[in-house]
Amino acid sequence: MNKYISTGLTLLVLVISINAQGFKVKAKGSQTFNFEDKGGRNQISFYSKTPLEDITGTVNAISGWATFDVTDFVKTLKGKIIVKVASMNTGIELRNNHMKSVNWLDEKKFPEISYEFNSAESVKQIADNKLSFKVRGKFTLHGVSKDVEADGEATYLDENEQTQKRAPGDLLGIRSNFKIKLSDFDIDNSIIGSKVSEVIEVSVNIVGSNK
Amino acid sequence: MNKKQKLILNIVGSIVLSSVIIWIAYGREIFTKTQVLIEKKDDLFPDMVQKQWIDKFVWGLDLSGAISGIAILTGFIFFFLFRTKKQQ
Repeated sequence: MNKYISTGLTLLVLVISINAQGFKVKAKGSQTFNFEDKGGRNQISFYSKTPLEDITGTVNAISGWATFDVTDFVKTLKGKIIVKVASMNTGIELRNNHMKSVNWLDEKKFPEISYEFNSAESVKQIADNKLSFKVRGKFTLHGVSKDVEADGEATYLDENEQTQKRAPGDLLGIRSNFKIKLSDFDIDNSIIGSKVSEVIEVSVNIVGSNK
Repeated sequence: MNKKQKLILNIVGSIVLSSVIIWIAYGREIFTKTQVLIEKKDDLFPDMVQKQWIDKFVWGLDLSGAISGIAILTGFIFFFLFRTKKQQ
């Protein structure tokens, strides 16, 4: 009888450990990372490819958070990233003004763009402190929310002398890429014509601290 | 066509040609830029690339077009003013 119980328990532990995918770092338990970066190094860039001109823009006014259990990233991940439309820059002042105008992103009415996520899937362990994953969440742009799936990669750095130069506490670096369709968010691209692509590629490079 | 008109034609031609040559030399961008992006690697997270805007002037086709347009329009006016008037 005892044999069956011990075998059952071993199997249960095995199943739990297979399902629980997370970082193998010094930190334990639930951790919350804040992505507000006063140094302005956190960045989200967007890219539009058209026959006329390829446009790359950046956003630096980023805030938000992500929380997860270090040992079970898949089931416990949730968070929100918020960017200010006012900080979007394409390198041409006139184009920035057009982009933020009523005909496009309407910055005065919709000053923020956000992405709220609450689970990860297809997690692969790249290194002890690095995971790749897919995340699904609500992307809100121009007052419209849609489900958007993103590819992501997270790197966990335990606090050390080098990380302290950036920020106190452990650091979490997130890289992510996804695409959005402007028409899904009620942005009429026909006004601009072929100057801007209907599909915009978004690339996220942000680092958060848990202190 | 008189001497003055020929001179105007040459000046306008030179301005248009120069603006096209400058545009090509600056990399044939469509729009004039005052900032360009450079990429920097993050020391702590080597996979991450940070884009940074630096102040740099890039001559675009719009600027060449505007300069050429003004030159052609001004040239046309002077070409008309310097026409040889028939003696009555």
